[in-house]
Amino acid sequence: MAEKVVVDFDHHSEAYRERGMEIAAEAREKCPVAWTESHGGYWVVTGLEEASAFQKRPDLFSAARELGNPDSIYKGISIPFVDSEYGGGFLEMDPPVQLEYRRILNSFLSPSAVLSWEPMARDLTNACIDDIIELGEGDFVEQIVNVVPAVLTMGLVGLRLSDWAIFNEPAHAGIYTPPDSPDRPRVDELTAQMGATIYQYVLEGKANPEATKGMLRALLDATIDGEPLPEINIMGTVGLVIGGGFDTTTAFTSNVWRYLAEHPEDKARLVKDPELWGTATEEFLRFFSPSQGTARSITQDCEVLGYEFKRGERALVSFSMPNRDPRFFEDPDEIHIDRFPNRHAAFGLGNHRCIGSNLARMEFKTIMQESLNRIPEYTIDYEGVERYEDCGTINGNKNMPMTFPAGTRQGPGLADAIERWQAILDAQSASAS
Amino acid sequence: MTRVYVQEDVCQGHTLCFMAAPEVFELREEDGHASVRDIELTDEVVDAARRAALTCPEQAIVVED
Repeated sequence: MAEKVVVDFDHHSEAYRERGMEIAAEAREKCPVAWTESHGGYWVVTGLEEASAFQKRPDLFSAARELGNPDSIYKGISIPFVDSEYGGGFLEMDPPVQLEYRRILNSFLSPSAVLSWEPMARDLTNACIDDIIELGEGDFVEQIVNVVPAVLTMGLVGLRLSDWAIFNEPAHAGIYTPPDSPDRPRVDELTAQMGATIYQYVLEGKANPEATKGMLRALLDATIDGEPLPEINIMGTVGLVIGGGFDTTTAFTSNVWRYLAEHPEDKARLVKDPELWGTATEEFLRFFSPSQGTARSITQDCEVLGYEFKRGERALVSFSMPNRDPRFFEDPDEIHIDRFPNRHAAFGLGNHRCIGSNLARMEFKTIMQESLNRIPEYTIDYEGVERYEDCGTINGNKNMPMTFPAGTRQGPGLADAIERWQAILDAQSASAS
Repeated sequence: MTRVYVQEDVCQGHTLCFMAAPEVFELREEDGHASVRDIELTDEVVDAARRAALTCPEQAIVVED
């Protein structure tokens, strides 16, 4: 029986941001399932075998949050626990009801469904580039990768595309602002406003279902066991899709954009041989792991893989740290863009595998390919790059200013693109009803 | 006789098997979960399946002789 090994670990710390994967290696060396006293105490899972085993047992490792009961052992997927009115939608549910929600939304995010959004992703990326290309400078995060996944997410959910800007700051700042930051109250206020806006959409949707489209329409129409979905869960689910849709692909793509500037040989290989994007995407996902991991609540005294757990304990099942497990990945801290096999955990493992994974891959490849096509040479302005202050939830960058040889615009830019795509989506929806 | 199959209750739709061996695996329309195509299990196909099995994050693919 394994002895409880204690480590000094806090995924929200500056140390984790600056040398998280080194810390992971040290912890994993001591014990792939170790305990930390941070944030009230939690297990830190740094091994891939262990993470995989725990995620196959949602009965023991629950993702659920019990809304309205802050004393519950079911504290959801974030450490530290932050009370929330709506929660994290189906991410903070267990089977069987979790699977019912996924069934409602699966068809929007299947591999074939996401292909139908590719033209819009391509067009939006070019429109964003059009707005900066003639200046010879711009911000890859603020002007390209914050925008494209956000507008696409709005389209998928069925919200007004131009409202992406309302959600933009709370979606990102909510993630990168440390729990104890003096800026937290302002960010929490923005998040509350975002919730109020989503609520307006839900009310509009209930009042006028015919005019509602996308995932929101599906959630409003759906029943589970003959009952419509509780409003609170519709709110949580929309918030979840916005959070997942806005921040993760953005963070990921920005890290790869910087990586390719620093590794021109890999950039050249990808440009020369686009088939490499397949394995390269998976390798970048493994290495950068935009979503760092999710927490679980242990539901009963139990033993898994020789580790003893107690009911009510919390565990951080990391994605990023198991993705560097030397037992499964040779040279784990090096990027090999042709790495195979690559059984990484960047989209999570088990029943909560990221429902947006196919969309994320399509968005990433599309944005990268169009951006490298229009801006083949660029220089990152490192003075201006700001990583997220807190990289415990998402490994991302607040901005990434760059300069490049000025080019020629191909179209009128983002505002026009958003109008055009809104019209297309409205027409599609009208002809479908 | 060689058997190749995807454990349905283990597959979570990562789609890495399909990326590695689209000639061997197909993805369900609604959720991208994988299954083995209805094809002859030639040596080539079995080799491709073994390679794909290594890259499944859930280790859902079984190749047994």
